[in-house]
Amino acid sequence: MEGLFDYAPAIALFPLVAFVVALAFGNSLPKKGAIPGILATGGSLLLSIAMLAAVASGEVYHETLYEWAIGDAVSDTGVDGVEFTFGILIDPLSALMLVIVSLIAFLVHVFSLGYMNAEGETGLPRYYAGLGLFTFSMLAFVYADNLLMAFMFFELVGLCSFLLIGFWFRTRSAPSAAKKAFLVTRFGDYFFLIGVVAIAATFGTLQFAGDDSFVAAAETAIADGTTLFGFAPETWVTITGLLVLGGVVGKSAQFPLHTWLPDAMEGPTTVSALIHAATMVAAGVYLVARMFGYYALSPTALAIIAFVGGFTALFAATMGVVKDDIKQVLAYSTISQYGYMMLGLGVGGYVAGVFHLMNHAFFKALLFLGAGSVIVLMHHEQDMWKMGGLKEKAPVTYWTFLAGALALAGIIPFSGFWSKDEILYDALIVGLEEPIILAAYAMGLVAVFFTGFYTFRMVFLTFHGEPRSEAAEDPHPVGWSIKAPLIVLGVLALVAGVANLAPVAKLAQLDITFLESWLDGEFGAIEGLTYGAYGELLAYETSYIGTESTTVLIAAGVSLLLAFSGAGVAWTLYNVPEPVEHKERLGSIGKTVEDNYYQDEYQVWLAEGLTLPLSRAADRFDQTVVDGVVNGVSTASLFGSDRMKRLQTGIVTNYAALLVTGFIALLLVLGILGGWF
Amino acid sequence: MAFVELPEWAALAPVLILAGTALALFVFDSVNPHSTNRAVLAGTSAVGSLAALGVAVWFTAAGVGAPGMDGFGVIELFDGQIVVDQMALFFIIVVTVVTALVVVASYDYMEGHAYQAEYYSLVMLAATGMATMATANSLVTIFIALELASLPSYALVAILKDNRGSVEAGLKYFLLGALSSAIFVYGISLVYGATGFLQLDAIAAELEALAAGDGGDFGGLLGLGILMLIGGFAFKTASVPFHFWAPEAYEGAPAPISAFLSSASKAAGFVIAFRVFTTAFPVDVTGQLIGVDWTLAFVILAVVTMTVGNFAAATQENVKRMLAYSSIGHAGYVLIGLAGLGAGSELVMGAAMMHLLVYGFMNTGAFLFVGLAEHWGVGRTFEDYNGLSRQAPIACAALAVFMFSLAGVPPFGGFWSKYFLFTGALEAGLLVVAVALVVNSALSLYYYARLVKAVWIEDPIVERDGLTQPTGLYAAIVVAAVMTVVLLPGFGPIADAALEAAAVVIA
Repeated sequence: MEGLFDYAPAIALFPLVAFVVALAFGNSLPKKGAIPGILATGGSLLLSIAMLAAVASGEVYHETLYEWAIGDAVSDTGVDGVEFTFGILIDPLSALMLVIVSLIAFLVHVFSLGYMNAEGETGLPRYYAGLGLFTFSMLAFVYADNLLMAFMFFELVGLCSFLLIGFWFRTRSAPSAAKKAFLVTRFGDYFFLIGVVAIAATFGTLQFAGDDSFVAAAETAIADGTTLFGFAPETWVTITGLLVLGGVVGKSAQFPLHTWLPDAMEGPTTVSALIHAATMVAAGVYLVARMFGYYALSPTALAIIAFVGGFTALFAATMGVVKDDIKQVLAYSTISQYGYMMLGLGVGGYVAGVFHLMNHAFFKALLFLGAGSVIVLMHHEQDMWKMGGLKEKAPVTYWTFLAGALALAGIIPFSGFWSKDEILYDALIVGLEEPIILAAYAMGLVAVFFTGFYTFRMVFLTFHGEPRSEAAEDPHPVGWSIKAPLIVLGVLALVAGVANLAPVAKLAQLDITFLESWLDGEFGAIEGLTYGAYGELLAYETSYIGTESTTVLIAAGVSLLLAFSGAGVAWTLYNVPEPVEHKERLGSIGKTVEDNYYQDEYQVWLAEGLTLPLSRAADRFDQTVVDGVVNGVSTASLFGSDRMKRLQTGIVTNYAALLVTGFIALLLVLGILGGWF
Repeated sequence: MAFVELPEWAALAPVLILAGTALALFVFDSVNPHSTNRAVLAGTSAVGSLAALGVAVWFTAAGVGAPGMDGFGVIELFDGQIVVDQMALFFIIVVTVVTALVVVASYDYMEGHAYQAEYYSLVMLAATGMATMATANSLVTIFIALELASLPSYALVAILKDNRGSVEAGLKYFLLGALSSAIFVYGISLVYGATGFLQLDAIAAELEALAAGDGGDFGGLLGLGILMLIGGFAFKTASVPFHFWAPEAYEGAPAPISAFLSSASKAAGFVIAFRVFTTAFPVDVTGQLIGVDWTLAFVILAVVTMTVGNFAAATQENVKRMLAYSSIGHAGYVLIGLAGLGAGSELVMGAAMMHLLVYGFMNTGAFLFVGLAEHWGVGRTFEDYNGLSRQAPIACAALAVFMFSLAGVPPFGGFWSKYFLFTGALEAGLLVVAVALVVNSALSLYYYARLVKAVWIEDPIVERDGLTQPTGLYAAIVVAAVMTVVLLPGFGPIADAALEAAAVVIA
């Protein structure tokens, strides 16, 4: 296995090659660039699986490949130089993520054959080139071994999402949505960038792993009590951690920077699947997991992560309840689910968070591709009130979509139940000691009810009942390129939970928590980057209601009960032949929720009412004061120049006189100073 | 490491080659006085100057003047009247490069001119004088070399005998030159009176002896002498207040001669200043005797020269005159090399030498472009140059390179040398000079960019027919542009060579 890791760069480079090929030759290729994309992501998938196997056999890979700048550093921790490098870090976490990303990218490429090519879209080379670049950026981000490299590819991921969300650039809404996604995430990334600079300046290193990582440096600084930038070390770690978190909140669409994500539904549905399951949105949470050791040093930062996560989970779930567009519902469910992951990571549930990241990747890709299939069936209609009765006409889509929905709603034994339950359990045992975490837990728990409700409202409206439009009565057939990815993902949504059956393990005292062992480095890991190592850093106290087993049972029971009751309410309201809207019953609250709590409105106000006047004032300052000074300097210079020119009269006797005068002046200056007279 | 043991006088080979070429051209002229065989004449001159350049480069590479085991050490000839060291070779390289460019360009420029052989032999003679200046090591040889360079220059400026401007410029140049030479030679006599020596090392030794003794009663005399020497250098390098000849002479002279005077002659003026002030007048000893640090004079001259040059250039309408003033401004930049000597750092003088080399390419190229424009007959003002890029994109691209390099815009050679001057000035503690350098560079970008804007952006005022592409001028301009650009990657070795040369002289 020694030489295998030498091929690691190829994992990211394959899709990059596909990007170039699709861009350069896409128009003359059959399928307009889909084939190179499928081959490239397939190759990445195989290599990633090989890496996973290698890690399972106890190998890890941490190598700096290219050093592009070295500088002096002045820092409080005593380092005297900082290096900026590109390197690769393959440990259990990144190997797992590589497989997830390349698998989803591969399936999305295959699905695109049916969704884009078969539907006769134009501009396909651009589409496949975008997918290739997107996959490349995400894969490189995943195995980046330092924060700066991660930041660069994080930005590239943002750029690609901009390009793909705005794929249908001739419509009015798509370019606007693309711009919104770009600007809102960029707002968060400003903080990220400042955080990167602050960490580099503080610790002189940006490495994730090893003895010279910034995590280890921060740990030492805290142990020694070194003052960093005039702050106590804990405070400074919290500040920098929160700055980096700004980028995470933007990319992973957490409150209050979630507003771009629902609009991003303007892109092709396949792109939504990729963005939500494996790339853009996942990047944020993955970053928290990647540098979890750093956050573990700061209880404040963790509590903020947990609270923001819990709040977002509930907040987004309530908005999902009233949407009519099938993709909108899924969009809000994504925000909500990433809220859960943040909650899990925030309470120290590193394994639970990563577990949910994985499960969510499978079932959300499944749901989006399923929705894509529905959209093809419905001749590009997305309003759920015009659907209905698709159950019999498209059984593959229905059953796989149902599997995804059950996973999303957290119904036992589908994968989503296991991971969500583990997150809530971790939150509960910490919450019993910390009131703020308990509040986050409570919000997460309530969100379970809403999740069950909106998920099954979506399923019933789409597939059950009588067809409510002509398109629903006579659906467009879908091909195997659409069905095959759905089946693969459907199976994964059902069984992926086996990876970590924590409640079963705790109740039956079995050693079947494979993911936990994996992330704890039982197979092989880099020192310091394991669940166990993080656990030692965490300052959380935990306690149980009664014994551990009772707590497990109570947590699982309550969340399952809420999920079922949410689904049950949906059943009674919408699983009827002719369902009707019930929004009026919600009154003014419903109106508020439907308008997304006026989040967009207040952000627009911030831009137009606050930023614009400020910019106008700055502009006026620039126009008058700055330009005035500059123009004044130039006028004075030109005037001086005019005078200077006149010295040259053209009469040679004048020159001789001036020459001698100048010489005598110099002589006087030096002579008086030197005392020659 | 030498294959054959060369006699010592062979160290003067570059100078001898230049002189021989000039004499060969004289012979040709006396045999065939009315020949207009430009190919033979320009070709001979080009071969002569390139041969001298080749020998000088070879000597540098072989280690002539380099200290240590593998070097030949500094070669002294005629009891130290002449010295061949790294700095001498460096400046011979600058002079011969410019000479080669100028004679190649003159092939087209001087077409139809009556006095072909005279012209080329005068150029070669002046080049001989400048190369000798680089090697002169005594006030006498310096003065002779200086006159050898100056007298042909007067004739060259006035060589367009039917052109009123050229003749007038030649006369003014000669009158001011005579005045300055008088001041210079008077300065030599005063220094001789104060020390009793003319050879530079001997002067330094005598000054040290005087400083160690009672100091003598000649402090004021010596100071006045030194100041008068500075006057002579200032004339040759076109520094304020001895610069008045420059705008008129450069404007009136044929453009290749303007290039020659503003690049090679200026470099030669600087090399004697460098040599005299590093060898003969050590800063501390001399300061002790005359009661004032002579670098102060150069600080004043540097600031005043760059300011006068750049400010006067800013609003010129005539391109050649603008370049003339810019040339004065650049003399001010190079003077920083002398102003910074007080701090004993070789960086600042090395930087000045680098600047002279880069300047040799970019300024020569700029003047040759003016020569090209005169060859086309498009006119002399900025407006007349409008839209030239449509007909001559290559030459105009080269012009843009020259202008931006002169202004000190990265990545061209001019940026690096100016950058080193700036850091050198800071290192030497000359904050005022460094600030003046930055302010003046910023101002210079204004008028340099104006020219680039005229040729590239503005629309032509009059319709022009297609423009010819004279081979010689084009070749010289393109070579100069390429060198201005590739000096950037080559700057490592060049910087080393200049710094090493400066270090050897200062030590």
